[in-house]
Amino acid sequence: MKKQTIFKAMMAGSLGFLCACGGGSTAEEQFDAKELYGCNVINVYNAGEYIGDGVLTDFEKIYNARINYDTFDSNESMYTKLLGGSAYDVLVPSDYSIERLIQEGMLQKLDKDALENLELLDTIAVDMQKEYDPELAYAVPYFRGSVGLVYNKTNVDPAVIEEKGWDILLDETYRGRVFMYDSQRDAFMVAFKALGYSMNTENPEEIEAAYNWLIEMDKAVEPSYVMDEVIDAMMNGEKDIALMYSGDAAYVCSENEEMAYLEPYQGTNIWEDAMVIPASSQCPGLAHAFVDYITGYDAAYANSETVGYTAVNKQVFDEMSTDEELYGGVDGYIPRTGYDKDEVFHFNEVLRQELSDRWNKVKAGSN
Amino acid sequence: MKSFSKMAYPYVVWMCIMIIMPMLMLVLYAFTVKGNDILTFQFTLENFARFFNDTIFPSVLWRSLKMAFITTGLCILIGYPTAYIFARMKPNNQAVMILLVTLPMWINVLVRTYAWRGLLGYVDFSSEMRVYVGMIYNFLPFMILEIYTSLSKIDPNLIVASHDLGADDGETFRRVILPLSLPGVVSGITLVFLPAVSSFFIPKLLGGGQYVLIGNLIEDYFITSGDWNFGSAISLIMAIIILISMYVMRKLDRGAKEAMD
Repeated sequence: MKKQTIFKAMMAGSLGFLCACGGGSTAEEQFDAKELYGCNVINVYNAGEYIGDGVLTDFEKIYNARINYDTFDSNESMYTKLLGGSAYDVLVPSDYSIERLIQEGMLQKLDKDALENLELLDTIAVDMQKEYDPELAYAVPYFRGSVGLVYNKTNVDPAVIEEKGWDILLDETYRGRVFMYDSQRDAFMVAFKALGYSMNTENPEEIEAAYNWLIEMDKAVEPSYVMDEVIDAMMNGEKDIALMYSGDAAYVCSENEEMAYLEPYQGTNIWEDAMVIPASSQCPGLAHAFVDYITGYDAAYANSETVGYTAVNKQVFDEMSTDEELYGGVDGYIPRTGYDKDEVFHFNEVLRQELSDRWNKVKAGSN
Repeated sequence: MKSFSKMAYPYVVWMCIMIIMPMLMLVLYAFTVKGNDILTFQFTLENFARFFNDTIFPSVLWRSLKMAFITTGLCILIGYPTAYIFARMKPNNQAVMILLVTLPMWINVLVRTYAWRGLLGYVDFSSEMRVYVGMIYNFLPFMILEIYTSLSKIDPNLIVASHDLGADDGETFRRVILPLSLPGVVSGITLVFLPAVSSFFIPKLLGGGQYVLIGNLIEDYFITSGDWNFGSAISLIMAIIILISMYVMRKLDRGAKEAMD
């Protein structure tokens, strides 16, 4: 019985692969999830604004299955909900958050035999994965990117912002014209980098200095603290500067030609989000099929095209980043790699609590 | 009679699970340190000390109270005349006006607040002003309805009698109508002040994160910080303030009713 299951799953995977190579729009093979895996419902928990048009319904059709799709706005709220006992089959957290879930034994090792499409992954993505999942055992990359500043080229002089980098956020000229992520990790990353420290520092003096930098920033530019709303707002040109992830930046820059994306010279955070399956998954077979489907050409293409984040499927990445009709030449689609001041963020519970407390105070202290 | 009271048992059980238990959990979290397991607790007052020894947290509390007071005050200022005008209209028109006031409440408050965010995008308001607009818009109907109800219950003969006894319009209002409508004002205050002091999504959506109130602070500590102990302590401080305000309201309400008799 088990063997048969794996065999069919492999068939499914390789078929997806064949279709992909053929540029395939031929009629998709049908599977019956209930028959293959004994269950036909999975609960997927992904970040908001993070999936391609039609990807979920296509998967549901091919596998005759149902996806309960749920979104979170930060890794922290995802974790809190998970702790609260919510049952999910596939999660898409960020690198450091996966590190935490692995440490706490909340994930299951993936069955590589059920994941045919792993070989389609970009080597850059797999190298990144080693930073948070050294054995490459628990995760399959979803998107990768960096953090930087999106700015309006007409209202902010590119030469000035390039010279100042993160320090432009201390310039009162831009008061009321800035969006900042309401995320302690991203906010403190900016402060640490602006001051020339590592974003993984545990040095109390450096943390205190970063805290004071953020208070100064809050007073100087009075930013609006937002999350995903920043995408639409910057597309409409509501403000002139915004802290943003590279993929959202690529989307904004491709829709609004006035906008540009900058990875400041002081260094930034490079990151990767990946799919993982919780140890408590009720339907791991179908969850694997889903992870594999997303890694394949069709879904990876739709995802990257819709949301603008950097594909980890090599073929999709090559097409997206060169085709002028897609994201060729668009700022932010190809995140900086190999710059020595850029860092991957690592999970550190003590640091997390300290920064979180201070970040709440930065926000509460404003006004 | 006794057999009927037994029918309330399921409800009592439900209340214990859904209301009493969470409250007890909250108190337990507020008085313990992080990382307890089920069997051993380490009790502490540290969470409360942390709140009051800081300069920022009490100022957020003060800001929330100030905001709730001002919102309530403005709701009375706008709501009373509106309700008064409604109460003096023809009965048919009254029904239409009350329908118009209640109509927006058929739409979820979150949706309406998002709409305000779009509208306020066109004007240059400070984040504080935006929050006030959202709060007053959201709570005003409660105030109008409460005051209107008590105004429309006043026997018109009392006003005629007052005029008969030589009182002019102003005096009639001051000595007859106003005292009789006070219970409505008091319950309006209850309905506006209590939710206003603990509201969190209106400041979050309209204030752009620049206007943090006590409700936002609780949310931050529970959801993003994952510090349930400190979050519970703030919630408990909040709950105590609400209990005190409810006590004061009841005193006021009783005072208003006695004044009527």
